[in-house]
Amino acid sequence: MNINATLISQALIFAVFVYICYKYIWPPILSTMEERENKMAAGLEAAKQADDSLEEAKLTYEKELKEAKEEAANIVEKANKRSSQILNDAKVKAEAEAEKIIESGSKKLENEANKTREELKQQLSSIVVETASKIIDEEIDEKKHENIIKKAAEEI
Amino acid sequence: MAKELTSKSYIDHHLTNLTCGKTESVGWTCDHNYYDEMGFMAFHVDSITISILLGVAFVALFKLIKLNPADQKPTRMQNFVEMCVEFVNENIKSIFGSTDNKLIGPLALTVLIWVFFMNLMDLIPVDFLPELTKQVSYASGIVDDPNDAYFKFVPTTDPNITLGMALGVFILTIFYSIKIKGLGGFIAELTLHPFGKFAIPFNFALEIMQLLAKPLSLGLRLFGNLYAGEMIFILIALLMFFQSAVFGVLGLGLHLLWALFHILVVSLQAFIFMVLTILYLSMAHETGDH
Repeated sequence: MNINATLISQALIFAVFVYICYKYIWPPILSTMEERENKMAAGLEAAKQADDSLEEAKLTYEKELKEAKEEAANIVEKANKRSSQILNDAKVKAEAEAEKIIESGSKKLENEANKTREELKQQLSSIVVETASKIIDEEIDEKKHENIIKKAAEEI
Repeated sequence: MAKELTSKSYIDHHLTNLTCGKTESVGWTCDHNYYDEMGFMAFHVDSITISILLGVAFVALFKLIKLNPADQKPTRMQNFVEMCVEFVNENIKSIFGSTDNKLIGPLALTVLIWVFFMNLMDLIPVDFLPELTKQVSYASGIVDDPNDAYFKFVPTTDPNITLGMALGVFILTIFYSIKIKGLGGFIAELTLHPFGKFAIPFNFALEIMQLLAKPLSLGLRLFGNLYAGEMIFILIALLMFFQSAVFGVLGLGLHLLWALFHILVVSLQAFIFMVLTILYLSMAHETGDH
């Protein structure tokens, strides 16, 4: 158990193994670890960016949704307004039409009535004449007494 | 001429390295009877062999695993390896702050895993490998007496191994001290504090002691812990000498307890060795403000 040349040889062997480790073992392991670290960092960064853009997309989506809702509400309101206007217009038009129809109907009716009245007058006058002639048993010359008949008829 | 097996010879056998060295009388030999004659030119073949094998195991474990590229799921072994690297890196970061020193990471990783592996040998039952060596060398005729075949299989219970690594760290500290602070700065650090330029010899004596104490304590701490642990395993194994069932069961129980506790020591000492390595190197990088 003396100190001897073993010490020197062990120091040399130690140096050799440290060199081997320094040259061949340490660098590949460390570079793999560093590479993975970088990759993870990049992955985390990308995830964060994705999160951010998701957030942004959500905001945009919400904004657009709000706008779309407002627009839809606008459109509905406009449509409502327009429909009520159309309804109104139609009402007015229909009322006017109805009035017109009624007017023309009443005019026609009046005309008809007048015409009928006229006819009735005619018929009545001829009936009267016929009756009167039967009563007086005398032929009344219609032509002669046209004026009289007319007058009578008008008096009816 | 088989020696009688006593508890002393049992312990001695466990604490003796398989040593090869150069002697004046017979030249290169691995015969332990010439151990004292070898002097400094002796190599603990067992410690060196096991430590090299474990170093190779470390390199193989960390090099041969499949490293999936970053965009794929890492394999299980890759996770383990990356965990080790991460652990080492975190320790470096907490001690160094930030550094662009490219050597400190691999150095700390090598220290951590290699020392851990070497310490782990302590958990192999104390008699397995020595007995195996005994039988193999006796059967193959390398030794006449099986008790002359030694094999100490925990490298970190050999002060040469721990101090050898500490020496490596020490050389690196000196190198970086000079590299960062310049030779002048390094010498100034050694001589000009704590008492200014009027007490240079005293300062130097203090600082050089401080400088040398670092590697010495670094190596001896690891050695001491593991040696003591190994020693206790051997002592527990001695219970078997009583040849009684009660002591046998007691010995098994104690072995289990000590082995469980030793798992902590094994990993803790590897960790401490690594942390101190990083710490000494970071001190070498510190400039000024003393």
